[in-house]
Amino acid sequence: MTPQLTLQAPVELPPPELTSYLEKLWQHDLGHSSGASTFTLLVWQPAWVEQHLVRLGRLEGPVTGVVRPEVLEAAREAVDFCGLPPSTSPLAPELAWALGEHTGVDHVGEDLRGQHVESAISAYQPRRLITLAPTLSKSAGLETLVAAYCPLSEEGNNGATCGDVVVLRGDFDALREGLSLLQPLVPDDLPCWVWWNGSLEEAPDLLAALSSPGRRLVIDSALGPPRRCLDLLEERVNSSTAVNDLNWLRLRGWRESLAMVFDPPGRRESLSHVVHLDIDVEGSHPVQGLLLAAWIADRLGWHFVTSYSMDGDAIGADFERSDGTEVRLKLMPVPVGIPSSHPGTIVGLRLICEPDDRQPLCVILCSETGGCMRLEAGGVARMELAEDVVPKVPGSDEMEMGRLLGGGHDSTTPLLAAAAPLAAKLLPH
Amino acid sequence: MTAVLTNPLRVGLRQERVIPPQCLVIFGASGDLTHRKLIPALFELFRQRRLPSEFAVLGCARRPWSDEEFRARMAEALSDEVADHASAWEQFSSGLFYEPVDLQVPEHLVRLGQRLEGIDRLRATRSNRTFYLSVSPTFYGSGCRALADAGLLNDPLRSRVVIEKPFGRDYGSAEKLNRIVQTCAKENQVFRIDHYLGKETVQNILVLRFANTIFEPIWNRNFISSVQITAAETVGVEERAGYYESSGALRDMVQNHLTQMLALTTMEAPGRFDPEAIRNEKAKVLQAARLADEAEPWNCCVRGQYGPGGSRSRPIKGYREEPGVNPNSTTETYVAMKLFIDNWRWQGVPFYLRTGKQLPKRLSEVVLTFREAPVHLFDAAGGSPTANQLILRIQPNEGAEFRFEVKAPGSGMRSRPVDMQFSYDESFGEPSDEGYVRLLADAMLGDPTLFTRGDEVEAAWRLYTPLLELIEDSPWQLPVQPYEARTWGPAAADSLLASDDLMWRRP
Repeated sequence: MTPQLTLQAPVELPPPELTSYLEKLWQHDLGHSSGASTFTLLVWQPAWVEQHLVRLGRLEGPVTGVVRPEVLEAAREAVDFCGLPPSTSPLAPELAWALGEHTGVDHVGEDLRGQHVESAISAYQPRRLITLAPTLSKSAGLETLVAAYCPLSEEGNNGATCGDVVVLRGDFDALREGLSLLQPLVPDDLPCWVWWNGSLEEAPDLLAALSSPGRRLVIDSALGPPRRCLDLLEERVNSSTAVNDLNWLRLRGWRESLAMVFDPPGRRESLSHVVHLDIDVEGSHPVQGLLLAAWIADRLGWHFVTSYSMDGDAIGADFERSDGTEVRLKLMPVPVGIPSSHPGTIVGLRLICEPDDRQPLCVILCSETGGCMRLEAGGVARMELAEDVVPKVPGSDEMEMGRLLGGGHDSTTPLLAAAAPLAAKLLPH
Repeated sequence: MTAVLTNPLRVGLRQERVIPPQCLVIFGASGDLTHRKLIPALFELFRQRRLPSEFAVLGCARRPWSDEEFRARMAEALSDEVADHASAWEQFSSGLFYEPVDLQVPEHLVRLGQRLEGIDRLRATRSNRTFYLSVSPTFYGSGCRALADAGLLNDPLRSRVVIEKPFGRDYGSAEKLNRIVQTCAKENQVFRIDHYLGKETVQNILVLRFANTIFEPIWNRNFISSVQITAAETVGVEERAGYYESSGALRDMVQNHLTQMLALTTMEAPGRFDPEAIRNEKAKVLQAARLADEAEPWNCCVRGQYGPGGSRSRPIKGYREEPGVNPNSTTETYVAMKLFIDNWRWQGVPFYLRTGKQLPKRLSEVVLTFREAPVHLFDAAGGSPTANQLILRIQPNEGAEFRFEVKAPGSGMRSRPVDMQFSYDESFGEPSDEGYVRLLADAMLGDPTLFTRGDEVEAAWRLYTPLLELIEDSPWQLPVQPYEARTWGPAAADSLLASDDLMWRRP
């Protein structure tokens, strides 16, 4: 889907005039249109990798914040340029840090963050889309831009239901200053989603201020230190504050494929006899793998016993099944030639079941883009083998956001709520 | 269905759509359908946690029951489920209410409006109302009008009306009823129910056709030589003689259930999975369908009526001996017919439909027979090669089966047919929901995909108009032919296909 630009060029305003300008816009200029009675979407949009790539002249501007194929291609090339391991994901915060080390070049690109609205999101007609766009410059004051926005639907736009976009741009201090402008901009009577589209370690005070209780927080637990990602998920779950995780949503294909293996009734008994679970992930970010392991453990009623670090950055954990039998988990980071966009994407899964009076069952699921040779090796020939390829979940983060917005999920999904605290335990301290 | 362990990895994977706060108002709440189908389906939805907590059912009928009496009667009708899930029933039944209502009495409608406001306050149902007309078909029009006159259908976003089959008795009455209904409510408020569309396997026809690339290129006159659609029942008329005598198999089964299967099997691919896009395509294909011989329908249709049968130890009564049936009845309990669809995809392909009561097996299926190979290179075990067949089993043994020729083992090059099978039971093991579960949920969600639109119903009736007129005006030209109970219908039905050098599939 092609991102859409706002129909009207955004107006740059002095920050104090923002509220009054919006009031005027709705009362006079958009008098013919009804404001969408939908939701407010607040987006933290640093796009650090894209900003650095444009600054270094490795990518043509403008900076949009939308992960386009050109951004991914330039980022993949930059991994080598920065001397990072080839398994580094193009969206990894490590790449942004490494690019930041390269100073002296300062190409200027137009900054259109917040003004490019992905159609997967605009289709749900946000009433107000507020983007916080931190800049690379550490001395950029607060800039505020406003535009009315009427999405054009494929069926025509009879009786346009319009919204507006607001962009707050500046360095961290400027954005902190801008927080006071935000509260009156968020209509009390509409749901408010907060999409933290960046690493969870940056600007924790801003994250806390934006994601106050009552707002629906969406994070990506693939971005940021694993401990911080899992602790944040656990905190939100424990305090019954809504949280959604794009990294969890990207697991959909794995959960569906594994469930599908056990759909035939003849296989279901084997689920009570799992003895071993192996998960391979790209690079060294284990969160997605841990969430998958935690989901399986929760669904199959295993009790967590202990977790520990193993050689080669692997993580091991022991569980106990309800019949007292031990189940071992091994989560292994593996190098890949062409990493996926997101750090720690799962490459493969192996589940070994040993029923008492039947042939053991070995389930191997493999990602569409990776190889599973490690999991296929090692004495599985004597077992009944169930192998499948997990299709890559199509679509971008914006499409996942669109699904969330369209689904109206105003609470944490029960499966994530059960898996996240367990995943936090699985990560060794 | 095999009793199996549930798949714990399946739990919660499917994102169910959320039914908004709702009051379902059932007119005809003292009737059979309410306690046999509707309340069990709602209780199932409740146990699957798919009903919102702000939910209520208001049963309405002329009987002067109280809320408690209504709850007690429903509990009695569902005694097995209630015993198994006592606490769930207690919670569910606290949302059951009853109001004596005669739809013909305006004061009752005023009282109904007040009661609904009270329920809104008590159960926070926010004026979202689905009115289910489970009453005699003669009251569908006046029932809608009464609701509209009472202002209960004013809000097109919050009020809907579900109308049971049969929708009309023929094209004229369906058109008239549509006109009445459409003056009372907008089309998107009207949900004409056909419970066959709630079956997983009927919906699977769409998925099989449009989610796979291998079928659609050969799903046309170039590759398919004929199609058979069968809905066979082993039961007789049971307690429905009063209704059945005035409807017969044609109105009871063919105009709705079989026609829906025909439409799903033959429609063009919709541009998107959207209620209107799907219903447009269904309506279009039904408008292109016709009896094989409209001028002389007796050449393409057979009516039958079951006579006595069974064994000496377990005799089966003939239709005319059933309680409530006229001993000289000419109502058909069996119909077989041949249709054509005049469009580019299906021109010249015969469609054979049959349905009957007291047949040897209970089953519904769609059988697509493909054209034979142009040259027979090999000896066939059965004399000549069997044409490829794709069999979509709607019920029981839900699934699909593909029949094709393979080399028979041995030194020669002889071919013989084999079956490649898919069974819902073996692959999923999960009993699929009763059709009403899905359809009630969809109606409350406002999703009309699995409901028939006004023009679709009219097109279905128009298709059978020559036949209905013939039966009405000169029934002797299409007499009911007797068949022995628990046989596959009258011999004339076989002759209908024999004249095309074909045979009914014997399942």
